[in-house]
Amino acid sequence: MAQTAVTAPPLAAMSRSGRRRGDVVSRRRARWGWAFTAPFAVILLVFLIVPLVFAFVLSLQNTTLAGGTSWVGFANYIKAFTDPLFLSGVWTVVLFSIVLIPIQMVVSLIAALLLDALTSRFARFSRLMIFVPYAVPAVIGALMWGFLYSPSFGPAQEVFGWIGLTAPDFFADQNVFGSLVNIVTWQWAGYYMIILYAALQGVDPTIYEAARVDGASAFQTAVRIKIPMIASSLVLILVFALIGTLQFFNEPQMLRGMASGSITSHYTPNIYAYTVAFSYHQFNYASAIAFALGIVIFVGSYVFMFATRKRSGLMK
Amino acid sequence: MKRLLAAGGALALLAVTLTGCSGGGSGSSCQNKIMHSDATQVSMWAWYPNFKPVVNLFNKTHKKVQICWTNAGAGNDEYTKFSTAIQAGSGAPDVVMLESEVVPSYIADGSIVNLSTLGADKLKDNYSEGAWSDESKGGDVYAIPVDGGPVGMLYRKDLFDKYGLTVPTTWDEFAADAQKLKDAGAKTLMTDFPGNGRAYQTALFAQAGSEPFELTGKTDMKVDLDDQASNKVLSYWNDLVQKKLVGTEDASTTDYNTHLVNGTYASVIAAAWLPGYLQGFTGADKSAQWRVAPVPQWDPANPVQINIGGSAFAVSNQAKDKKAAATVAEGIFGTEAAWKLGIEKAALFPLWKPILESDYFKEKAYDFFGGQQINKDVFLTAATEYKGFQFSPFQNLVYDKLTDAVNATNKGKQQPAQALAGYQKAVVSYAKQQGYKVTE
Amino acid sequence: MTAADTTADTTIAVTRGAGRGKQTPAGRTGRSAPRRRALAIPHIILAAFIVYFALPFWWLIVASTKSQQSLFDGKTSPLWFASHFDLFANISALFNYSGGLYARWLGNSFLYAIAGGLGATVVSVLAGYGFAQYAFRGRRAFFAIVLGSVMVPATVLVIPLFVMMSAAHLTNTVWAMILPSMLNPFAVYLMKVYSDEAIPAEMIDAARVDGAGELRVFGRVALPLLRPAIVTVLLLSIVGTWNNFFLPLVMFSNPQLFPITVGLGALQSQAQVNTGGQALWNLVITGAFLSIIPLVVSFLTLQRYWQGGLSIGSVK
Repeated sequence: MAQTAVTAPPLAAMSRSGRRRGDVVSRRRARWGWAFTAPFAVILLVFLIVPLVFAFVLSLQNTTLAGGTSWVGFANYIKAFTDPLFLSGVWTVVLFSIVLIPIQMVVSLIAALLLDALTSRFARFSRLMIFVPYAVPAVIGALMWGFLYSPSFGPAQEVFGWIGLTAPDFFADQNVFGSLVNIVTWQWAGYYMIILYAALQGVDPTIYEAARVDGASAFQTAVRIKIPMIASSLVLILVFALIGTLQFFNEPQMLRGMASGSITSHYTPNIYAYTVAFSYHQFNYASAIAFALGIVIFVGSYVFMFATRKRSGLMK
Repeated sequence: MKRLLAAGGALALLAVTLTGCSGGGSGSSCQNKIMHSDATQVSMWAWYPNFKPVVNLFNKTHKKVQICWTNAGAGNDEYTKFSTAIQAGSGAPDVVMLESEVVPSYIADGSIVNLSTLGADKLKDNYSEGAWSDESKGGDVYAIPVDGGPVGMLYRKDLFDKYGLTVPTTWDEFAADAQKLKDAGAKTLMTDFPGNGRAYQTALFAQAGSEPFELTGKTDMKVDLDDQASNKVLSYWNDLVQKKLVGTEDASTTDYNTHLVNGTYASVIAAAWLPGYLQGFTGADKSAQWRVAPVPQWDPANPVQINIGGSAFAVSNQAKDKKAAATVAEGIFGTEAAWKLGIEKAALFPLWKPILESDYFKEKAYDFFGGQQINKDVFLTAATEYKGFQFSPFQNLVYDKLTDAVNATNKGKQQPAQALAGYQKAVVSYAKQQGYKVTE
Repeated sequence: MTAADTTADTTIAVTRGAGRGKQTPAGRTGRSAPRRRALAIPHIILAAFIVYFALPFWWLIVASTKSQQSLFDGKTSPLWFASHFDLFANISALFNYSGGLYARWLGNSFLYAIAGGLGATVVSVLAGYGFAQYAFRGRRAFFAIVLGSVMVPATVLVIPLFVMMSAAHLTNTVWAMILPSMLNPFAVYLMKVYSDEAIPAEMIDAARVDGAGELRVFGRVALPLLRPAIVTVLLLSIVGTWNNFFLPLVMFSNPQLFPITVGLGALQSQAQVNTGGQALWNLVITGAFLSIIPLVVSFLTLQRYWQGGLSIGSVK
């Protein structure tokens, strides 16, 4: 079963199974469809839908320390979308998306292309080493980097010294953004690399043959043929990286204790929601912030998928 | 794949055996032994180091009440869980350890109960006025004080001698010493003024006379965070910061630890619990000779003592047997034997007068300070003369705003007056959203 | 960045036709000198990647052999061993900390990851197969919800989940961690897309004509075909549960139930506020080091299975 489609478009796949229809048999089979999906449906209902409805109800109420609880409709949402702290957090994660995602993509794409082109034992070893940071829980990764960034305690001075530089203060206002980008890239680039690598391995090599005959270099082959061939994988990864970045939480939260001046309690929307809920005990407003963030994510990823629909096949 | 699944199953089994029968039942969650199984059990969250012997001591000596203790996390980790449990209506412990600064918040949202109605007032004479008032609202007490953080100035005698500094008794002398260090070309800074030192800065403002919050009735509140005293103190420190006479790095980080012990700072304005913490890092600088002096004053004729940190035991509103819970909160650190464990094993500074004023505590000499009797010399006075401080019912927010203000001035982005005005404005606006009638 | 990142794996399963041991253009070339020079550059880039991705691990290994004092005294390079080798002293102090809590945390993580991972896999395989093979009413909407759930920020769910668990008296039991971990919409999506591609309709129809019931068709025909994707889903679910931080942080107040992520976080904050003069920072670091060993080792040894999901085309 030779396949040329590198990535099956997920929603397009939906339509395929409309193929058997019509009679009593298929109606009986439809019941089996529910039977197979029922355990998941129950779990989805109990652990996602119900809590979500619950949180939505919370977000329509307001509880004040002095005044008690009352229904306020969408007032919390209006407040969120006019709250400069929330909006600055949204701006921060948008900036992260603009900077972080391309860097991650470039690193993982270069690694994947190299590994696809090389067959040495060294290449196989590198693939493993690049992938391994994904095995470290985000929290422990951030904890480690907190130590690594420490000017007196971490190795940064020494490493920068190798190339004749002095290490910057990783927690200073102007640097903390880059410090966070670095942590996330370190942690996730290997994971994306593996996915792209798998996509590259899936490309039929006879396609390259023609290019080689035409005298294209390895570099030209990579740029002109390989990258377009895995474009749909790239787009899909980008969507998920975007969703993840807009929900940015673990890494900045872990570094806050060392960089109070640069990572505020409202640095990203998720940190803000967390602070408002667990530090200020404002569960209603926190729910509204989290939902507002959900809206931002939905709009953002929808726009992105729409813009790239031709490449990804994610939308029809 | 079968092998993989088999391996997975074996691992799961192993994990189940490792974790034992950990499911369900509140009884299994104790980190200590229950000695009298038919007694009323009171669950407790606390994160004191080496706390188990203290709990065991209580259980040994109380036949009718037993403590089931859990370390649910230190500081904010515990508060996160406690707040969630209160919000959910179940899952909170009967007795909870709280730092004094968050007690008003939990009083305001009704998470903890009024202990005066359970007869706790009889203990009032066992504590200093300041310690008791820190846990009280409107004359009623809501938590039983345990340890305090009376403030002194820890300094490096070796460095002071080297650079010919005299131990400052006033802030002017402190600033002069800082200048002297710089003039001598020393790498050592006088001290640190951390961007995240919120409790520290609040105490320093209070020393000059700042009383930012006043709560009267249920909804009336005074907020005065940009008063003259705060302005004076922040300007004083900002001057030192801008002249690079003091550092500005965040506290409680590994770097800060390193710098505390390696001679980066000649002094630390710190609470009595800091020495216990520093001991974990000793040996980094063999020449270090630490001593303690009283905190510098604005007006030496009228010294004002301050406090940073300290904790207390409160009874949660979910406690089934509130009376028994109160017995635990009152009794756990209510004996000399318990306190000796707390002082020797956990380096706590007691607020309970019978031990605080005992000769044992007064005359205790500390190796870390070259045998100095630091309690007699400094901390006892600081503790007994401390008059208390009113925190706000949303202190975490106040602290976050203060952190923003101090970082802004430390980095030279704002003038102290401007930063404090912003601090005041942000807190007032939040208080109003919370339904308080605010007077400024 | 949390949940959403797991999603990107969907591409793995849909990537087909790999594993033909294809010759890359570079690999096919001879061993002449210019060619070897052409190979040098990619290898240098890979070496740089290895240094970047592996250096933090090296630091962690070195740091875990130091006592608290030599961690902080700045006498030795952060990247090289101190004169005194304290790894075993640290390990023994770590396992003795608070009556052996650390071993407990590791055991808990194993339990949660394996129980939650197996549960999520079973549920997802059933649901993915159901979505792919049966056209039942409401399927489209149901599947859209599955995809949309990616965008829900975790902060919004925590409080309602806690309230529900608390009402069911399940907080502070292992179920508070295991049950919600069985919800893995990405795994469902992955299995659905994979089932669409990997199970030929003719095979299913043939089995039915032979008189096999739906369950028999699933067990005898579909399952073997789905095997590579099942392994990938299982590994992903296990890693996802192992790395979870937020859920157990809120659900457990009893440290006996903490998984390793939350336990280490708690140990770190204890080190930060520690008033008793105990040396804890060396335990935090050694604890972080030991905690990542199981996953790293499993990544190394199960590499074949990670790629099993990648090279699906070779199955048939």
